[in-house]
Amino acid sequence: MRHVRRFVWEIQGHGSRFSPSRPMCGTIHANENEAGQRGKAMQQAKWQQLEQLLGPKVVARKRSAEEWEQSGGGKYPEAGDVLNTQAGVWVVTRTAGADVHVYESVQELTPLELGLLRLVLQQKSGRAPAGATELERQTRQLGDWIGQCLSSGEWRAAIPERMELRLRLFDGMIPFLLIREQGESKEPSYADLDKALRSFMADDTLLIPLPDHEWLIMAPDRLLAEADEDETPSSNEGKSVLGSLASGLHQMVSGEWGGECHVAVGEPIDPVESIVHTVGILRETIQLGRKFHIGMQVHLPWLVHLERLLIGIPEPVRSRFVEEMIGRPDLFGDSETLSTLDAFFSMDCNVSETAKRLFIHRNTLLYRLDKIKQETGLDVRSFNDAVLVRILLLLYKVTKRK
Amino acid sequence: MAGVRLEHIFKKYPGSEAASVSDFHLDIQDKEFLVLVGPSGCGKSTTLRMIAGLEEISEGKLYIGDRVVNDVAPKDRDIAMVFQSYALYPHMNVYQNMAFGLKLRKFRKDEIDRRVREAARTLEIEHLLERKPKALSGGQRQRVALGRAIVREPQVFLMDEPLSNLDAKLRTQMRANISKLMKRLETTCIYVTHDQTEAMTMGDRIVVMKDGFIQQAATPEVLYNHPVNLFVAGFIGAPAMNMLEGQLVEEGGAVRFRATGVNVEVPQGKAAALRGKGYIGKEVILGVRPEDIHEEPVFIEASPNSIINASIEVSENLGHEMFLYLNGLGKENVIARVDGRSGLQEGQNVKLAIDMNKVHVFDKDSEQNVFEAE
Repeated sequence: MRHVRRFVWEIQGHGSRFSPSRPMCGTIHANENEAGQRGKAMQQAKWQQLEQLLGPKVVARKRSAEEWEQSGGGKYPEAGDVLNTQAGVWVVTRTAGADVHVYESVQELTPLELGLLRLVLQQKSGRAPAGATELERQTRQLGDWIGQCLSSGEWRAAIPERMELRLRLFDGMIPFLLIREQGESKEPSYADLDKALRSFMADDTLLIPLPDHEWLIMAPDRLLAEADEDETPSSNEGKSVLGSLASGLHQMVSGEWGGECHVAVGEPIDPVESIVHTVGILRETIQLGRKFHIGMQVHLPWLVHLERLLIGIPEPVRSRFVEEMIGRPDLFGDSETLSTLDAFFSMDCNVSETAKRLFIHRNTLLYRLDKIKQETGLDVRSFNDAVLVRILLLLYKVTKRK
Repeated sequence: MAGVRLEHIFKKYPGSEAASVSDFHLDIQDKEFLVLVGPSGCGKSTTLRMIAGLEEISEGKLYIGDRVVNDVAPKDRDIAMVFQSYALYPHMNVYQNMAFGLKLRKFRKDEIDRRVREAARTLEIEHLLERKPKALSGGQRQRVALGRAIVREPQVFLMDEPLSNLDAKLRTQMRANISKLMKRLETTCIYVTHDQTEAMTMGDRIVVMKDGFIQQAATPEVLYNHPVNLFVAGFIGAPAMNMLEGQLVEEGGAVRFRATGVNVEVPQGKAAALRGKGYIGKEVILGVRPEDIHEEPVFIEASPNSIINASIEVSENLGHEMFLYLNGLGKENVIARVDGRSGLQEGQNVKLAIDMNKVHVFDKDSEQNVFEAE
């Protein structure tokens, strides 16, 4: 037992965790990789140590979530959950998507051994570092659950009652997803970021850490009314305020901690019912934004409908379409043409406003648009051609641009 | 207060072959107002963002004061930033917007109040302190953004195109306000703009950038009168310097510049330099500022060796001055800036004279200013 106690202390001291890399998620710095490798090696050593301590009493196995449920286990198992099965006692060590990793008892475990084992596993999975507050532990627990639901494709899952944080969530919370692209050394601590967000938004704002430098921020929707105190904002005004809040949040976070970060915001939701779905949508929005709108850091789901549709078209079909439509393959390779068209579409095809935005004379812009017309036969000042060029431009960005 | 030193700074993005900023090496003095200027994509904003800590530095050292800050988080660099897209926090009123940065740094309430009210007084926005950003005009929002930076009382101000969202009239007004404010605050300021008028009127010193490289760093007067290359010469000044491609020839003991419709004599001092550098007989580019082409009879009479004849294709009369777009000189239109009361008309043939003491000669291959090269 002395050995087990020492192990508990060591696990508490090194609250590291497995961290599967996020798909579609850009650059991973070399030092981040190295740190990840070191962390993994340390973690593996811990597992081996635990298995040695338990001796021949348990074996590590991988079960499916279906097996777990069929054997009488509840939905969404968590590390430390115990199940008595015909094959023996199963203690969940971790879950990954639809896989449930368990220690299966070969010999009977004493109640004390079982209790200590659960304690070790629960502390490990909570990811909360030593000295973390109860709130941080709860938010990390919820963050883990959201991550599991997303990786197993259960976007419609509702927050289970056993999640203590459920009581702090209420209908009408604005979801923000913040993704930071920095080495671990510059990552703000939970406590610092939480304090800044409460000061920035409201005291009942919740910061929920998700895997891999992602943070979900749930803020009360009264912020919308505070921004627009004289009247009830219309849907469009509401979206505009949400965009401003997201820009403000981005500016605050990057101004304080630096590094590249991306923010997406959604309309207010009932988190209990739709938090997983919302995180999935916001994550997808950021992925689309980063793919189609390089250089932008604030992404709004209601502005990437076309992008969402286009990304679903198989790559060979997209490439063929672009090649067939553009007479001159290098047309969009010219950065001036790209920035001109981007600005023209973002200013709703308004020539004067686009010229102002690009700091060029109106006639210079007209000359550039005429040149595009000459080379492609498409006049972006006519609606049908503009639609086509807009689609071509988006497709070009994901098929041709490196 | 502190100076900023950039020591051979490079910025290279992963996957990109060329560096966005190359070998940027510059000492910015304490209390200096430095302007970074250049066309889109020249690396000026990237440089500023590296100083701010928003972008990592790929290579080189950055000092603020005596401290290397490459690995220091933006919040710990003692800088304040104002951007083009100044995102005011929409749910906070003006006072809260300005106070937020200090509140986050746990300043005492009375100190926050003192600083916010003082900055508001300086920016003349005291009457707006209770308003939300939505109820402000563009110019007022911009002043709040400035106020948010001022209350921090930083060692260095960083501003990235802070005026570009404003209309022309307001921009001119705010330009003067910022200049006055920075002089009063006596703080180092690094200011990015694409607008050379802003650069010329605000900067103690200007850094002209192109393709990630510094082209020239000098005072506005030096940049205007002694551009080191064709790019700087063309970028600084509006209307831009006229560039005439032609040949330098020796004729009757004098050096002459010949191009389509132009045959003018180079003054002795400049001629000697051209001879010494072996440019006689070579193709060069002659740079002439629009205001160095004169229509006054007195000047024409006194400059018999630099007379040109041209026809006026277009004339733009701004009242106090007039721009003449001239045909028949070189390959493109030549622009002359003359007195608004000269009475010259479109379509008219006109006799003018170039002030040859003020022209520049550029090497056609290297594009360097022959007179400024060491």
